[in-house]
Amino acid sequence: MGGPTSPPYPPRSERPGGPGRSSIFREPPREARGGSVSAIVSLFAPRSYMDRQRRAGLFFVLPALLYFSAVFLVPLVESVSGSFYRTVPGGTTQFVGWRLYEKVLTDPSFWQAVGNTVSLLLMSVPATVVLALTVALGLHRLRSLRWRSTWTAMYFLPFSVSLVAAALIWQWLYDPLYGLLNHLLRGVGLPPLKWLQSLDMVRPSLAIVNVWLRLGFDTIIFLAALQAIPGEYYEAASIDGASRWQALRRVTLPLLNPQIVMVTILELIFNFKVFDTVYATTQGGPAGASQTVIMLLYDTAFKYFRLGEASVMAVFVFVSLLLVTLVQWRVFRRQVEY
Amino acid sequence: MAGIPPAGRVLKPGRFHWLVGALVAAGAICVFFPFFWMAVTSLKTVPEIQRVPLQIAPDDWTNLANFREVFHRQPFGRFLLNSALVASVSALSSVVVSSLAGYGFAKFRFPGHGIFFFAIVGILMVPFQSVVVPLYLWVSRLDLLDTYLGILAPDLVSVFGVFLMRQSIEVVPTDYIDAARIDGAGEFGIFWRVILPSVKPALATLVIVKFMWTWNELFWPLVVINSPTMKVVTLGLVSFTNMYFIEYNLVTAAAVLSILPILIVFLVCQKWVVRGVVMSGLKG
Amino acid sequence: MRGGLVRATVVAAAALALAMTPVAVGAQAKKLVLWTHWEQNPEFNKYYETRGKDFAQKSGYEVQLVTVPYQGYEAKYLAALIGKSGAPDIFMGMTHHWCGQYDFCDRMPADLAKTWNENLPKYMASVGTWKGVRYGTPIEHGNFQQMYINADLFKKAGLDPDKPPKTLDEWLAAMKKLSVVDASGEVTQAGFALRHKGHPVGITDKFLPFAHAFGARMLSPNLDKATGFANSAEMVAALQFYTDLVQKHKVASLAFPSPEDAFGQKRAATIFRESWFFGWVKKNAPDVSFKVYALPCGKACPGAGNLFPWANMVAKSSPNKQAAWDFVRFISNPKDDLDQHQAQGILPVWTVNLDSAYVKGRPDYQSTQEMLRQPVPPEYYHPKSNELATAFGEAVVAALYGKGQPKPLLDEAAAKMDRILKD
Repeated sequence: MGGPTSPPYPPRSERPGGPGRSSIFREPPREARGGSVSAIVSLFAPRSYMDRQRRAGLFFVLPALLYFSAVFLVPLVESVSGSFYRTVPGGTTQFVGWRLYEKVLTDPSFWQAVGNTVSLLLMSVPATVVLALTVALGLHRLRSLRWRSTWTAMYFLPFSVSLVAAALIWQWLYDPLYGLLNHLLRGVGLPPLKWLQSLDMVRPSLAIVNVWLRLGFDTIIFLAALQAIPGEYYEAASIDGASRWQALRRVTLPLLNPQIVMVTILELIFNFKVFDTVYATTQGGPAGASQTVIMLLYDTAFKYFRLGEASVMAVFVFVSLLLVTLVQWRVFRRQVEY
Repeated sequence: MAGIPPAGRVLKPGRFHWLVGALVAAGAICVFFPFFWMAVTSLKTVPEIQRVPLQIAPDDWTNLANFREVFHRQPFGRFLLNSALVASVSALSSVVVSSLAGYGFAKFRFPGHGIFFFAIVGILMVPFQSVVVPLYLWVSRLDLLDTYLGILAPDLVSVFGVFLMRQSIEVVPTDYIDAARIDGAGEFGIFWRVILPSVKPALATLVIVKFMWTWNELFWPLVVINSPTMKVVTLGLVSFTNMYFIEYNLVTAAAVLSILPILIVFLVCQKWVVRGVVMSGLKG
Repeated sequence: MRGGLVRATVVAAAALALAMTPVAVGAQAKKLVLWTHWEQNPEFNKYYETRGKDFAQKSGYEVQLVTVPYQGYEAKYLAALIGKSGAPDIFMGMTHHWCGQYDFCDRMPADLAKTWNENLPKYMASVGTWKGVRYGTPIEHGNFQQMYINADLFKKAGLDPDKPPKTLDEWLAAMKKLSVVDASGEVTQAGFALRHKGHPVGITDKFLPFAHAFGARMLSPNLDKATGFANSAEMVAALQFYTDLVQKHKVASLAFPSPEDAFGQKRAATIFRESWFFGWVKKNAPDVSFKVYALPCGKACPGAGNLFPWANMVAKSSPNKQAAWDFVRFISNPKDDLDQHQAQGILPVWTVNLDSAYVKGRPDYQSTQEMLRQPVPPEYYHPKSNELATAFGEAVVAALYGKGQPKPLLDEAAAKMDRILKD
């Protein structure tokens, strides 16, 4: 595979289409919005080219839909309905309505776990996104393809290691006595830190591990997007006399907006659900300072055998993430003017 | 290879170009360091690991005793095979179904497309721990415990894959597709010959990501696998930790063993991704 | 196009068919499936399969061992035992969870139960039982803690390693001599390797000997009440003593790593750990010369107590229940008990074996005898034991980290525990 291959489709500048092409979730065209019944009917009896189009679309999507329904729909429904039942000693369940919701949502340790999770989130997500963007921009500027591949591979490597192994390695690095980090600190004359064993430092330490794990993945996404930006935009910008910084702000970042939003959403979801790394290192300690919502969920389900309360927590997680994603989509999505 | 300027080079390199390169390199080395640490620890004996003051280099760089012990304690070779099989099937099936679905969501307007897409993304928001018992019960009723299909059950299609494919296919110009339709190509033919070639980098990325993701899964294989010959690498790795102590020498050795195959997959696919990505930067 | 589609479908179907075939089962011998999460005891586990082969000659049933990671074992057990079809025949766990909270266990046949009840030392008597009924056979993995000391550090501090402290006051005095605090107030050598990190249940486990030594107990004797027990005056005194170790006397440090590592590193002079520990020391820190002694006593003696009563149980839903109990019967004798535990280097459970040559040759022989002579400390085998111990442990950790005073923390924990008990 040598030499340039011509792109299989005409360059972006020649493409029709107005603003809004870069957003993730597009508004459906007017004809599909109204009269959905007739739209569904037209699927089965396609009368026009458009109807056949729609039917084709549905068929393309069908395998994925069927799979997700089969695998996740029923367990999901069972799990949610489980939030209305409580397990009594002996193993049977009894219907209790909203009582478990009341119990969980008024429990201070639940909210402490939520607080810990949010605090971890606020540390990990912006850091990951900003660092990934910075690294991708830096990699993008590298002339040598070989070096770019090498560094990219090294950034991506943490993604390849099992979460448990990563957590154990970092626990070792953070060890106050013979961890490498304190060894380095002592080497430059600074006092050693307690890292995972300090009430104040445990969450930042875990946030660092999360950033380390996810950085490469986001970097690759940004890098791919950066390399898809046609050079003519930068040409136009430099002709207009824009400085590097202005070019970054006015050209690059807006064009990266869809990826930035997608990455932020994904990071939010994954960091909210953080479990393995915390479980393998601090187990929620010290004194509950690093207990996250999913850890509490796991303990509630499988150590305390309270499956009903665990389902309530799952519903809470789902609803929270849904709301946050919706907010992100509405607030941060930008229509891009070409 | 050096003659193709990437899009970012249209602007003249700034004064701090070397600094950028150095920072990127320094960051990469920092990120890489824990792996180096892991590899080095796998060559140490247990008393060496406990030794203070810390010593980075092992006493004996050729000490493979930990690796031997890993294979002795568990059929680790079999675990590697199982993981490879499961991860490969998962990656391939994900790519196929996700790209189909991504195309459907990106380029077609059928009733409910928005809701279906959001519903699929919503699956990511559900904690797996809360669906694991019902899912297990289903798999168990279908007699798929301890089978490859049982292990694959939640991993055959990736939500991230659908998301990524939709994003990537969205930017393929619609009139190109329409042109192919006018030429009389069938829908699947358009997918195969127009869409897929345009999104090769995304496909390669999905293969790598899904392969790694499935390779490193722990919780579901833990619940669904009983037979020692069906276990996967992550289970082998975690068997060296328990409620009392962690055998760091064996955990790191097992982790090194588990990363090697992934590295191979990554290096093979990555050439395709980075080069492919560079190629597509020629648009315009 | 159509050819490509057909080809793809055929390949996919073939792959699917391949994936659905389970691993080829070997011999057609019937099998008893035994689940355990003690993955780091391979010799102990292998013993079941070895004896299973002998058992197969009489009964036609072999024993198939399945090891489950400890991290996540509860989820796996729960799913399998609810699901029934993938369930084990014999499984290792805690009776008060699987037989108390749930109803997954089969009652032990009366004759077998009698054998076990007659042959267990009193500290093991209730392990494997629930509400007086025996469901399982206990397995020892060092269920009770003993005091390990670093003989060299003792000598260096001017203490005689052959005359260990017997009371908590003596012990504290010794700890003070063994601890070294540097100029900035940081502990560089601790007298005691204190467990302060990890799950609160583990923290409770390590604190209980102190609580029991002060005459306190975590729950009422009927296990139905926490207030008045978890926050009794004795418990507050015990927690105060424990917290003072870190904050006032500086004989323990929160900056130290896990207690085992600290001890193996010669940074801590004493540690309270179970019977598997000296095997760990021999392997990980062979240059530490240690001795094992009974735990120091306060108002009462801590005794051989444990929070985790591991036992082998038979699943009620198992179609091979009869054969499973026959196998258990097959290895319910002093010789098997001794051989199996000896293979792994842990203490056997049959009373007669506690005087065997193997046990006599262990470094913890004398201390074990001494501790077994003490009265059995309170037990907390309750279905909600994990949750209760977590609530209690959170108070202990909070006190250690200075997040509050022992009394209010324990009051809060006791109230929480009562809510848990009532729910």
